Amino acid sequence: MSKAQRQSRLDPLWSSLPAAALVGFFVLVPLAIFAVYSILTSRLFEVSGPVTTRNFSDALRSNLNRSLSRNSAEIGLLAAVFSVGLALPMAFWMRHGAKRARAIVMFAVVASFMTGYLVRIYAFRTVLGTSGVINTVLLRLGIVDHPVEALLFSRISVTVALVHIFLPYATITLFAAMAPLSTSYLEAAEDLGANARQRWSRLIAPIMFAPALSTFVLVFVLSASDYVTPQFLGGTNGATIGTQVQVAFTGAGDFGAGAAVSMLMLVAFMICYAVGVGVPRLLGLGRLRFMS
Amino acid sequence: MRLKLIVLGGEGEKLADDGKVGGTVNFLSWEGYDLPDPLKDWRAANNINVATTFIGNHDDIQAKIKTGGAASGYDIITYYQGYKNLYTELDILTQIDESKVPNLKNLFPYFASDIGGYWTKGGVRTGVPFTFGAQGLTYDSAAMSELPSWYDLLDPKFKGKVGMVDDATGVLTMGCHLLGLDPGTLKKADLPKVVDLTKKFVAQTRGVSASYGDLTQQLVSGEIQAIYIGWAAVNSFAATAGKTTVTTSLPKEGAYSFCDSFAIPSTAKNVASVLSWINAVMDPKVNAAAAVGLVGGTTVKNAVPLLDDATRSLYPYDDLDGFLAKAPFYPNPPVDSTEFVTGTEWKQAWGELKQSAGG
Repeated sequence: MSKAQRQSRLDPLWSSLPAAALVGFFVLVPLAIFAVYSILTSRLFEVSGPVTTRNFSDALRSNLNRSLSRNSAEIGLLAAVFSVGLALPMAFWMRHGAKRARAIVMFAVVASFMTGYLVRIYAFRTVLGTSGVINTVLLRLGIVDHPVEALLFSRISVTVALVHIFLPYATITLFAAMAPLSTSYLEAAEDLGANARQRWSRLIAPIMFAPALSTFVLVFVLSASDYVTPQFLGGTNGATIGTQVQVAFTGAGDFGAGAAVSMLMLVAFMICYAVGVGVPRLLGLGRLRFMS
Repeated sequence: MRLKLIVLGGEGEKLADDGKVGGTVNFLSWEGYDLPDPLKDWRAANNINVATTFIGNHDDIQAKIKTGGAASGYDIITYYQGYKNLYTELDILTQIDESKVPNLKNLFPYFASDIGGYWTKGGVRTGVPFTFGAQGLTYDSAAMSELPSWYDLLDPKFKGKVGMVDDATGVLTMGCHLLGLDPGTLKKADLPKVVDLTKKFVAQTRGVSASYGDLTQQLVSGEIQAIYIGWAAVNSFAATAGKTTVTTSLPKEGAYSFCDSFAIPSTAKNVASVLSWINAVMDPKVNAAAAVGLVGGTTVKNAVPLLDDATRSLYPYDDLDGFLAKAPFYPNPPVDSTEFVTGTEWKQAWGELKQSAGG
């Protein structure tokens, strides 16, 4: 191997070292601390020996944890289904149909990032509330006699807010993933007699399956672990499992319980990620490559 | 050279410092409790700069101090009387040198006493009460009439119109009060009674809220009409937001009261300035301004004539003892106990209760 070849192999290694060091320090070290906490005995903001599995067994046996995990999964699934379901056609339209409007639409999508998270949550209260915009319109049109209370402090409001928050992420991710899907493929399919439905089912869907699934997993994980939106918009059954981690660490001072729930959440999300990566491979979709 | 000593000890241990008033005071408590306006002159006169860390939940105080340790450097905190035992257990509180706070003589006899051991115990002072209040029933008088009883909130017509803050301590203390039980010595067998009663009130809500600020927003927008375990300060918050019809009453069953005290945590460095701060707040003029700003009660007797009419009418100062008998101060549940419900069991019960009430 020549010196130049060795140099070109080493360059990426050196250049990635700062990022690797940052990830190691700010992600892996805290994770290791959590892992240690989760197997130690806790008592009021302290952990100490002996090593125990009780934090995990308590966390797994807890009816409250199971109920909150179910809430998290349902909220995450709803948000992911609607986010990806809306983002996919939107990203396709931006890539292949928007033409000159693309820049404007892209600006609108990016602009939504610039609005504060809590501001958006409170904005939904004024839109979905009993005296909000939607109920006012419904009442004035005579469609309902009384304000629809189910719009706010319910799964509906949480899902709508989370979709609004994560739709831009999903749209931009899928828009980028569609870059190699050139118009010539679509034209070739059309020339070969494929109608719109066939183009979607036999060309676009197989190619976009893997990135769509990755986006789905991303939105699911972020939504299921979010406990702020459900707290403000979710009603009495809107709490998620993340709340338990917060309560354990700040309220009860039970570091072991909080760490154990965190580690279990991490395992659950890693399984989701593995499914997201593994399913396309099992279906043979991971081998699909675009011709350049 | 004098040695600056930080004692990470428990209740009763004194902190020493260089004795000079001035510099930066690191404040950790609720927004507003730093009393920026009432203490404006004192700050200017002593060249004090206040670095504030505001909390969203009382539990943030012990979490920040215990996880941050001495390096966190918080000089002054406040604590609700119910937290006294927990903070003692956690070695957060230090002894306050009463000789450096001559204005302690201004306290009402009740707050100068060692009732409950909340502020002084065994001759050791760990807190100086500066404001108090009763958790009444806050409601929008434009939407409903005053309710004589807390149980009236369970009327089906208020379904979905009641707000509640996500506060395990407050909600279950109120449940205990209504059942004639003491949350500090609640027998484990009695917990289901408190949970069952509280569940009925939670079922009247459309969700528990993160804060009183959040509940105020719901009152102002008309989403809710009343708050189970309200707070007189919400009247003021709502008025500021344009809704002047929000008021707070005390139903016939009474309620529980809260008393917040300034304290010096074991992380404090600028002790002399904190002692001076506390002494300044015991000044009638400063304490009256604090009570008006916080829409709360004053703990300083000579501050009463200095209150505005609205603030003075909040509490009957001519019969404070009688009022506090109807709306008493309670301790929180113990940290460990085989006989009584502990704080951890309490929080667990609240978490499960919220879930089950939501169906």
